Amino acid sequence: MTASKEYAIETRNLTKTYKSKIKTAKNQRSLFSHKEKRIVAAVNHLDLQIRQGELFGLLGPNGAGKTTLVKVLCTLLPPDEGTALVNGFDVSKQQMQVKQSIGTLFSVGERGFFWRLNGYSNLEFYAAIYNVPRNGRKERIIEVMELVGLKEHAFDFFQKYSGGMKRKLALARTLLADPPILLLDEPTTGLDVTSSRAIRDFIKNDLIKKTGKTVLYTTHYIEEVAQMCNRVGIMNKGKIIALDTPDALKDMAKKGEVAELVVKNMSSAQVQALRGMAGVEEVAAQVQDAVLGQTRLRIRLTDVDALPRVLDFFFKEKIKLVNFKQEEPTLEDAFIELTGAGVGR
Amino acid sequence: MDKIYYFMKRDIISFSTYKTNMLLMVLSAVFGALSYAFLGANAQMQSVLEMYNISLTTYLIIGIAFNTYLSQSLTLVQKTINPWSLEEVLVSPTGLVTFIVGSSLWGFIWSTGTIVIYLAVGILAFGVVLSINIVGTLLVVALGIGTFIGFSMIGAGILILTKQGDPVTTLITIATSLFGNVLFPPQVMPIQLQVISYFVPQYYFFTTIRQVLTGSSLLSILPDLTILILMCAVILPLGYYIYSWCLQTARKNGTLSWF
Repeated sequence: MTASKEYAIETRNLTKTYKSKIKTAKNQRSLFSHKEKRIVAAVNHLDLQIRQGELFGLLGPNGAGKTTLVKVLCTLLPPDEGTALVNGFDVSKQQMQVKQSIGTLFSVGERGFFWRLNGYSNLEFYAAIYNVPRNGRKERIIEVMELVGLKEHAFDFFQKYSGGMKRKLALARTLLADPPILLLDEPTTGLDVTSSRAIRDFIKNDLIKKTGKTVLYTTHYIEEVAQMCNRVGIMNKGKIIALDTPDALKDMAKKGEVAELVVKNMSSAQVQALRGMAGVEEVAAQVQDAVLGQTRLRIRLTDVDALPRVLDFFFKEKIKLVNFKQEEPTLEDAFIELTGAGVGR
Repeated sequence: MDKIYYFMKRDIISFSTYKTNMLLMVLSAVFGALSYAFLGANAQMQSVLEMYNISLTTYLIIGIAFNTYLSQSLTLVQKTINPWSLEEVLVSPTGLVTFIVGSSLWGFIWSTGTIVIYLAVGILAFGVVLSINIVGTLLVVALGIGTFIGFSMIGAGILILTKQGDPVTTLITIATSLFGNVLFPPQVMPIQLQVISYFVPQYYFFTTIRQVLTGSSLLSILPDLTILILMCAVILPLGYYIYSWCLQTARKNGTLSWF
């Protein structure tokens, strides 16, 4: 494959399979039972192009192959088939050039840090092994710590950092050598709302707008990619099943209608009955206020004509409507429609 | 050298935060040396004196002191390249060899300090007399460490695949204590067991290190030294080959970071 200057990341027919041994149903309880060998394609003949300076979101349920793709792109896993170019370098043949072009943040970001060292000393060590020039290294460490909002805690022990601070330090580590491409694998998983937002804002405003880096951002949080990414790829079972702007992906789900309601005193049997009605495609029910007996419903309808029938159902069942609104389909609707899976919110 | 400096700095800072452990390790070395020195001063092992022409105290102090280098080397690669940090190591533009060398230096400096404590207790309190052949000592120590790093790489490679349970480290530790000529010469064992000693590199390491520390020339220890050189020349590259193969297999299977 010839390298294109337009693309920071380019894969052609990329495939990575795993062999696994699974106990057969008959012998689940036996310690030395026969195990069946299975081959699972975690990344399955994937073609993907990410432009220079793009913030590309890769969305997918757990096990979709997102982390495997990141690990292939950062040279950690050798591909079984196909090719992948990162910054124009082949991940199989030019590993050192690829490593010098990328910063990788794994989903378990605090791995590799030394708990008895402070944040600054940890980064000082990584600056050396990431070949940050000795002249100006100190300034660079302070600069990246300031960028991620850790400057005031630079000399605190790493073991005293909160989960969010550890993740920020991991992000700072990926920036140390100022690589043009960042591979961020679920960078906000397990973080509180404030920390997640701070990291997202930093990526969108500082990394993309100010420094023009290319970012591959994997997540299973739909809101994240909807808010910040130029393009989104939806990955499932090792394949990109849809790829477009967040708005265009939402349009894919616009075939039907979505109604969001808050109802009072609705039984689970009534929810089941609603699910079985003609024209009702999906019903998501969630308790909103147990004391008041309120339930939030999100109903996807096949067409707008089904709506009067649904409202009639509530009337006949004597279910009180507290709130009602018709909604535009969201990226989550598109995601569910495409993958048939639920995702974290 | 820049990278090595930061490896050292990292390890020294980290180590210095465990002050109680540091104190206990020094005390352990002092009392360990005293225990073996008292044993040597009061026990009889005629064959030792006949073979090495040294006192039993000298024999024991050297054995126990230089075993710290071998123990340190044997677990070196497992400690450096573990699942917790392996992925971070492999995605960086720094090679594995730099990681292993950089991560091991502080351990060897500490081990050298421990050896100095053992020898100092022996010399100052129990009249141990050494006549050190510096070149010979450095050569034998390098060969011993090289051989044991080879074993360590084999163990670490197996550990990368099995995640728990490294039979190599266990076997080598057993072989060292029983056949390694650390605390007693194999000649005190039945002949069937003695034979095994001649196939383990520890035997040649401890035989030659005692000789070069008590004044023997390289020429006079040439037969045993040659065997040690040959063993190191086989085990070190073999360890590297096995480690690389296991690492590549784990990368292919995607199980690198599994515990």
